[in-house]
Amino acid sequence: MLRILHDTNYNFIRWWKVMAVVTIAFILLGIGSLAIKPPNYSIEFTGGTLMQLEFAQPPDVGVVRSTLDEAGIRGAEIQQFGTNKEFTVRVQNAAAVASQSKGAENIAVAIESVLKKKFGDNNVTVKRTEAVSARVGDEFKRGAVIAIMLSFLITLVYLSIRFEWRFAAAAVIATSHDVFTTIAFLKLMHLEISLTVVAGLLTVLGYSLNDTIIIFDRVRENLRKGRKETLYETLNRSINETLPRSVLTHATTFAATLALLLFAGEVIRPFAWVMAFGVVTGTFSSIYVAAPVLLWIERKWPRKTGVRQPSSTATPTSRTTRSPVTATR
Amino acid sequence: MSLKWRIAIILGLVAASIWALFPRTVIERVKRNGEFVYDTVRRVPLKRGLDLQGGMYLALEVDESKGVVADKAKAIDNALKVVRNRIDEFGVSEPLVQKAGNDRIIVELPGIDDPRRAEDVVQKSAFLEFQITDETQALEKALPRIDAALKDAKVTVAAATPGAAKDTTSAGLQSLFSTDTSKKADSTKKDTTAVAGSIGGPGAFSKLIQQGGMPGEYYVAQKDVPLVTQYLSLPQVTAALPPGKVIRWSSDTASLGAQVYRPLYVLDAKPIITGEYLTDAKPNTSPTEGNIVEFTMNNEGARRFRVETGRHVKDFMAIVLDQRVMGRPPVIQSAIGARGQITMGGKDLQAAQDLALVLRAGSLPVPLKVADVRQIGASLGADSIHKGITAGVIAVALVILIMLGYYRFSGALAVAALGLYILYTLAVLAGFSAVLTLPGLAGFVLSIGIAVDANVLIFERIREELGHGKTVRTAIDEGFRHAMSAIVDSNVSTALTAAVLYQYGTGPVRGFAVTLLAGIAASMVTAIFVVRTFYMIWLNRSREAQTTLSI
Repeated sequence: MLRILHDTNYNFIRWWKVMAVVTIAFILLGIGSLAIKPPNYSIEFTGGTLMQLEFAQPPDVGVVRSTLDEAGIRGAEIQQFGTNKEFTVRVQNAAAVASQSKGAENIAVAIESVLKKKFGDNNVTVKRTEAVSARVGDEFKRGAVIAIMLSFLITLVYLSIRFEWRFAAAAVIATSHDVFTTIAFLKLMHLEISLTVVAGLLTVLGYSLNDTIIIFDRVRENLRKGRKETLYETLNRSINETLPRSVLTHATTFAATLALLLFAGEVIRPFAWVMAFGVVTGTFSSIYVAAPVLLWIERKWPRKTGVRQPSSTATPTSRTTRSPVTATR
Repeated sequence: MSLKWRIAIILGLVAASIWALFPRTVIERVKRNGEFVYDTVRRVPLKRGLDLQGGMYLALEVDESKGVVADKAKAIDNALKVVRNRIDEFGVSEPLVQKAGNDRIIVELPGIDDPRRAEDVVQKSAFLEFQITDETQALEKALPRIDAALKDAKVTVAAATPGAAKDTTSAGLQSLFSTDTSKKADSTKKDTTAVAGSIGGPGAFSKLIQQGGMPGEYYVAQKDVPLVTQYLSLPQVTAALPPGKVIRWSSDTASLGAQVYRPLYVLDAKPIITGEYLTDAKPNTSPTEGNIVEFTMNNEGARRFRVETGRHVKDFMAIVLDQRVMGRPPVIQSAIGARGQITMGGKDLQAAQDLALVLRAGSLPVPLKVADVRQIGASLGADSIHKGITAGVIAVALVILIMLGYYRFSGALAVAALGLYILYTLAVLAGFSAVLTLPGLAGFVLSIGIAVDANVLIFERIREELGHGKTVRTAIDEGFRHAMSAIVDSNVSTALTAAVLYQYGTGPVRGFAVTLLAGIAASMVTAIFVVRTFYMIWLNRSREAQTTLSI
């Protein structure tokens, strides 16, 4: 039997302060950077036009830019996309988006016609066009926010039914932490926030929550056993006991994510990045956010009668009288 | 449940999955040599989203820039029928036309390779009117008023642009307004008023227009068209226009000598008949008039048409489509009945075909504008599928490596279950006619990594139970039992997130949510039920109890 990290007895939670500093610093870095410059929202959220063009010969980007400028399409971002023959043209500025309120396709039609005129009909192929009016963009934005909020709410309710409110709250706070770190990650990596990335974010939420649930499930079980130990110790024990599982699952998930990152192409890459980071932050938050928060909640609102115990010796074993801070000493 | 039943259920699911995924012959509209024909195609019944097969997605809204629409929801409902009729005739395999929310129409056209034409067909109002040209020289009478109005307007316009403020001549105004983009126009600054028998007024407006060849017809030099259009849209000018008349551009140009003109028509505002009585329209090519569209009216329309044209014998009748006069208005020789034709001018046969199509499908009750458009080329879609499959194969290989390396025999059981997982998930997607999108494909690859989580949980539990000194059989039973709550809780919470994503996502993201849901369902079945059965088979293989388990 090949075993890794079997029967370990690491004191994970002991490091919670250090980890808190690390993660808060990371989040603040992200938020600070957001304050300086807003994130890159995709045209799905801002409205605008995105075209992926393939040229017969590698074009001079300067010429492409000046052609668009002359046609009055200003502020277009031109980026190489994969090979040196493929480019994306993104028009996202306020004036352009406003002009799309009359018909979202306007700018795309103009770009295609001026570039075909300049480079020749057969030398420019439009491989992809996305044009979104500002109104639709606002709806997508609202939809994304509602989706994130709603999944929080639904999960909280479900967890409250299955566990109890202390666990549920700790799990949701850990998951919120992941939203913040992922947003910081997106910002620091200059990744564009698109609908697919939001979907990735929600998947990370699910994944991270999943991980927290596995540990909490073990905590619940260990509490039922009614050992004479503090919640602090129970948490550490549960994290250690689930460690082999965590390593294995994260390894397979990370393998799949890596395959996506390397082989699934440019369009999926931002999503794969979010997932790759999600595996890390999800694991981290299950140990270093969910557990300390649970300890804190238990201290603030101690249980009256111990945990729901089927074996009910009713010993308040789970009640922790010590704060996590003193507990580490 | 007895082992026999378990095996029967698993094999039954496999059979059902293979049946669901078996390539089948379907009749589809496919493109052959540029023509759409019905043909039988043999393919795996998995629906690919537009981002994987290429195609176009359009979201249309009521365009209120030309007037407020009172009952938008009703207007959209009516427009939906028209758009659907048009798309049905347009010739795309499996198009989708549906209402989204209260005020939007979604059109999906898989495999379309001429997005501009599709947009045009969907958006064209196709409002057909027959109007008699003005016989009363109403425009000539109104010209002094228009010129005067322009003189007033000119002050405000000119003042708005520094540098042109002093220049109050019409030439100055012309250069100010003229966004001359016409290609056909003769660029020489010739005095246009001298060509045809002209009105030749000195005013800003009357200077630009000349008498045409029939009552109510006027000519405007092609290069002046944007300027005149601009003038006509000024509110002061609109107020000065003759009452009871409308002014419409021709869809064609006319050449007089070296100059190219665009005719402008003054028409009786009330149409003698509209396109609502149309029953059929067909494209055709006439030797004398080029491409035409022939139309037929129903009985009531024919009767009205006969009565009205009978009243207007010797008058000229303009056929106006979407506020453009099609061709030169013909003179009414005698009462006309059920049939007529629209000349397409210089346009090609495809334009005639498209016009006939939209006329048959009926006019849009309200103008529509595009709110959201996505168009993806077929090659890009094929490329995405190829890359997605590569990533999937590599992900599977890596997961197999990890599972076999760590859990050995039990890992092999998990890998076998993973094979079934992939089969079941795809079958669920096919069975529910779910649409596979690029994010969906990515979600599927990801789910392969996550799917073994349940196995890992169970295996770790079995290891613990074995560590407690339990027998193999008991350890397996206990392992499954103890892992259950964690598996259920984590899968349900992921499924809830996916459901939210499905509700609030659109297109590709929705495809992602669907794959996630199908994957969760399939992984619960394979990890809990299938692997358990595998263990049971293994335990039953020999009469004496298995004493060791490779895990």
